[in-house]
Amino acid sequence: MTPQRAVLLSALGVAVFLGLWEAMARSGFVPAGLLPSPSAVPPAFLAEVKRGMWQAMVLSSLSHYLKGLVIGSLLGIAFGAAAALWPVWDALQAWVVRMLRPIPSIAWIPFAIIWFGVSEQAASFLIALTVFWINYFASYAAVQGIDKDLIELGEAFGQGGLIPRVFKIILPAAMPGILSGLRAGLGQGWMTVVAAELFGITGVGMRMQDASGMLATNIVVLYMVTIAVLYGVSDFIFMRVQGRVLAWRR
Amino acid sequence: MAAVIDLKDVSIGYGADAPPVLAGVTLAIERGSFVAIVGPSGVGKSTLLRVVAGLHSARSGYVDIHAPERPDRRPVALVFQDARLMPWRRVQKNVEFGLEGLPIPKPARAERAASALRLVHLDGYGGRWPYELSGGQRQRVGIARALAVEPDILLMDEPFGALDAITRRNLQEELRRIHQDTGKTVLFVTHDIEEAVHLADRILLLGGTSPARIVRDFPNTPGSEGHAFHEQVNQVRGGLADNYSI
Ligand SMILES: Nc1ncnc2c1ncn2[C@@H]1O[C@H](COP(=O)(O)OP(=O)(O)OP(=O)(O)O)[C@@H](O)[C@H]1O
Ligand SMILES: [Mg+2]
Repeated sequence: MTPQRAVLLSALGVAVFLGLWEAMARSGFVPAGLLPSPSAVPPAFLAEVKRGMWQAMVLSSLSHYLKGLVIGSLLGIAFGAAAALWPVWDALQAWVVRMLRPIPSIAWIPFAIIWFGVSEQAASFLIALTVFWINYFASYAAVQGIDKDLIELGEAFGQGGLIPRVFKIILPAAMPGILSGLRAGLGQGWMTVVAAELFGITGVGMRMQDASGMLATNIVVLYMVTIAVLYGVSDFIFMRVQGRVLAWRR
Repeated sequence: MAAVIDLKDVSIGYGADAPPVLAGVTLAIERGSFVAIVGPSGVGKSTLLRVVAGLHSARSGYVDIHAPERPDRRPVALVFQDARLMPWRRVQKNVEFGLEGLPIPKPARAERAASALRLVHLDGYGGRWPYELSGGQRQRVGIARALAVEPDILLMDEPFGALDAITRRNLQEELRRIHQDTGKTVLFVTHDIEEAVHLADRILLLGGTSPARIVRDFPNTPGSEGHAFHEQVNQVRGGLADNYSI
């Protein structure tokens, strides 16, 4: 299939989806309060933007997201790589990881609120937690899976010390796996943003909760679309950056 | 002449429980000599080079390497049997790898890498990614990387294995010239007996039942031609056949 054809087909898919949805809402087949029509979303968007609400919510969510993402990713990569590198450390932390890992990050919401209050930090903390685990396991596997011959190469050319070994061999060799962890974290992070804000922390999730309380379902859909677009944009940018970083791959 | 590589009753193995791969290896290699190592596949040729390079330690015996430490060089460099390039570095940066960490200014480092690439007939390839090279070109980048650090001891594990006859011949002559000009000690693993007879001043044959050892040690005159050359090739070939027990 040519790329143009693929783009046309996916545009057609979206158009059919929206068309069916609009038809369902208009036909009265589904009560208006249960399912807003897609055509009700743009007016809601304009109204929200005029009030400054949309911008404020998006900025607030973006700030939670970015802080959580950066902290969670860096720590996840560092801990995952360290566990793969040092068997003693790996063994020490193995069971702690097994105990903490299955707890979903939203289960930490009570503690997040006790520790940080209903605050920005609480949201960032939950996002960081989600992103941490994804990056931890991705980096662990990536570092463990690198070609050991390359480490020998480093030794043969005077780069066998800890710093050159980690920064000249291990991290670049593990980069594809580390980046796929980052990418997965990028997506999961957005989901956690919404979940965390449903509890009243200012942002997109809180606004959705408020709107649904008022049965303003078109506003709920507006913010659903907003999240989808934000995720789409961040993933697109990430893929562009990744394409550059991994230009060495065939 | 002093031995630069001095092995005494060395045995080498992988893993504590496995039997040794090589045992009773005693070998003194004089400074500036060109020693070829031949032997069947799996006999331990790469293993021997790995020990000389300090990448693997001997299980018992003595290993002494007497190469002078110089600030802007590395005493020993190894050309791996697989090219072993770092796929995330362009060719130029792969060749500069061994120079990093030495007190050499960046422009000088780049110049040394570039001239090493010229030696292997890859000028103009510095900006490519390894995946953009053929197998033989990759192997030559591995050779350039070793030459760039200007080692006193050059260990080469089947460096010309992946090359066509003409390129191979060119690089053989290049290597002979480098050896003559710089007085490097070269340890050269090859499957090609004619290549060994053409290049080396000494040919070691590894073989015997496992653990393997050095079964023959032929003196050789490099660059011989005609009858003398063929005579020597047959000698070494005969020695190899007699000890083909793996
Ligand atoms: N990392 C390793 N762990 C365990 N055994 C190994 C390892 N590397 C090599 N060996 C074994 O050691 C023996 C010698 O291997 P080596 O690579 O030195 O052979 P070689 O003479 O270089 O063979 P070839 O001509 O095929 O390259 C082989 O039997 C091989 O199976
Ligand atoms: Mg080998």
